[in-house]
Amino acid sequence: MTPVLEVRNATRHFAGLVAVDDVSFTLAPGEILGLIGPNGAGKTTLISLISGTHDLSAGEIFFQGESINHLLAFRRARLGIGRTFQIMRPFPVMSVLDNVAVGALFGRGGGQPKLAVAREQARECLEFVGLGKIIDKRADELGGPDRKRLELAKALAMQPQVLLCDEVMAGLNHVEIDEVIDVIRKVRDLGISILVIEHVIKAIKSLSDRLLVLHHGEKIADGTPDAVLADPIVIEAYLGKKRA
Amino acid sequence: MKAWQIGLVLAALVALAGVPWYGSDVLIQFGINALLMAVLAQGWNIIGGYTGYASFGNSVFYGLGSYGVAIAMVQWHLPFAVGMVFGVLLAVVFAVLLGIPVLRLKGHYFAIATLALAQVMTAIVSNVGLAGQNIGLVLPPLNNDPLFYELSLGLLTVATLTIWGLTRSRFGFGLIAIRENEEGAVVMGVNTTLYKVLAFALSGIFSALAGGIHAYWITFLDPASAFDISLNVKMIIMAVFGGPGTVLGPIVGAFTLSAVSEFLSSEVTRIAGLFFGVVIVVAVVLMPRGLADLFRRMRKMGWSYFSENIRAHRL
Repeated sequence: MTPVLEVRNATRHFAGLVAVDDVSFTLAPGEILGLIGPNGAGKTTLISLISGTHDLSAGEIFFQGESINHLLAFRRARLGIGRTFQIMRPFPVMSVLDNVAVGALFGRGGGQPKLAVAREQARECLEFVGLGKIIDKRADELGGPDRKRLELAKALAMQPQVLLCDEVMAGLNHVEIDEVIDVIRKVRDLGISILVIEHVIKAIKSLSDRLLVLHHGEKIADGTPDAVLADPIVIEAYLGKKRA
Repeated sequence: MKAWQIGLVLAALVALAGVPWYGSDVLIQFGINALLMAVLAQGWNIIGGYTGYASFGNSVFYGLGSYGVAIAMVQWHLPFAVGMVFGVLLAVVFAVLLGIPVLRLKGHYFAIATLALAQVMTAIVSNVGLAGQNIGLVLPPLNNDPLFYELSLGLLTVATLTIWGLTRSRFGFGLIAIRENEEGAVVMGVNTTLYKVLAFALSGIFSALAGGIHAYWITFLDPASAFDISLNVKMIIMAVFGGPGTVLGPIVGAFTLSAVSEFLSSEVTRIAGLFFGVVIVVAVVLMPRGLADLFRRMRKMGWSYFSENIRAHRL
């Protein structure tokens, strides 16, 4: 089966710093791929390269077999690539409902031109992530956990085929993390392939079908969660070299 | 909008439309000025209030609209309406050609870049023979203030209906998303470059039409008055005073401040500017989000609205 997303030798320099260094991987339809790595490993940059908010220095990215290198970020969004941000980017003075409606109005295939229909779709997405009761609040009145859910709902309203989640669980407590994991699983059950960056190892282990590890911009491991987390190279990257 | 609100707006519109029948000449003239200022404030509202790009280039659109009418009528002996179309055309071309590079800049940088445009235009137009160089052009006089008044009111109505349409359309949602978070908007599929240029052009169309009406009414224009940067400052103050990013705020702001300014210059002639400045400063300190926000929140908060603003903005 053609992978939904294929990243081939992706490289990105920031002046002298190599943030992402020759990274290749694929994302299969309906797969949840976990992306982990220490701070500064290049995880967020990699997501930005895929969503198009940063340009590749070298390499190529394919969406459903077609190269998307030449496409601007908004075109990639309309193609079906949705993302959330680690530092949330809600539209603060808009209502929660209208925040999500933007996703439905634009989004995949150029979106839904009718505002009333878009709002209806937005309402469904908000129900889906568990924000159905506070759709009339202003986005800047929400607390941290609800903002994370809002980010998810906004991306979902675009009806994406690939969802790139940048630390949607950071700063949440155990109960909230479990709830978000449930939502992400439900999203996958809709047939959406998901790339998820996470620091909470326990959460990502139970959630992911496969794990990818970045360290100093390089891919150092790629495989099943159990195998990857037992890999001595990965352990060293996280905990440092064992003293002899 | 609720039914009583629509009724109120319609009643206000009828009252305004009737001014030439029951108002004095002075009131009609004041009305034309205030209405045109309101159109300019609404024009600015599209790019500055809704899209979040604080443009200092809208006085250029105004100037192009003025010159469009003047050149068409004086040099080519064409009717006024053709001049208006010509002025709009100039404004749209200008918005697209300059908008594409300038709208890549954000925040202060955008403001400064557009600030320079008015100076550049003054210099250019002063050297164009067709535009009368720095001497200017004298238009054929038309002594019909009620006509200019109704034209201005009609233009303001169209501008306001356009903005009202924006607030419930995909285009308007895209603009607000750009204002609120441009990167967030682009990854949701908003073609930000196109939308910003369209907003700039739309804002320019209304400014140019206002400029065209004003030129024909005043019957004289020169580069310094057509591309007057203080006019741009005025439209920003009025839009922000009333409530940027709201449908009616800029109109209320333009009417209120025009009235205040008129009253001050007749009562305390020589130091009117000083008092006007004080009004602005007090307004910014006590209600930095404009009258629209004041009306919305003061019902709930009462007088503590003002102290809350002072505290929230650390003044």
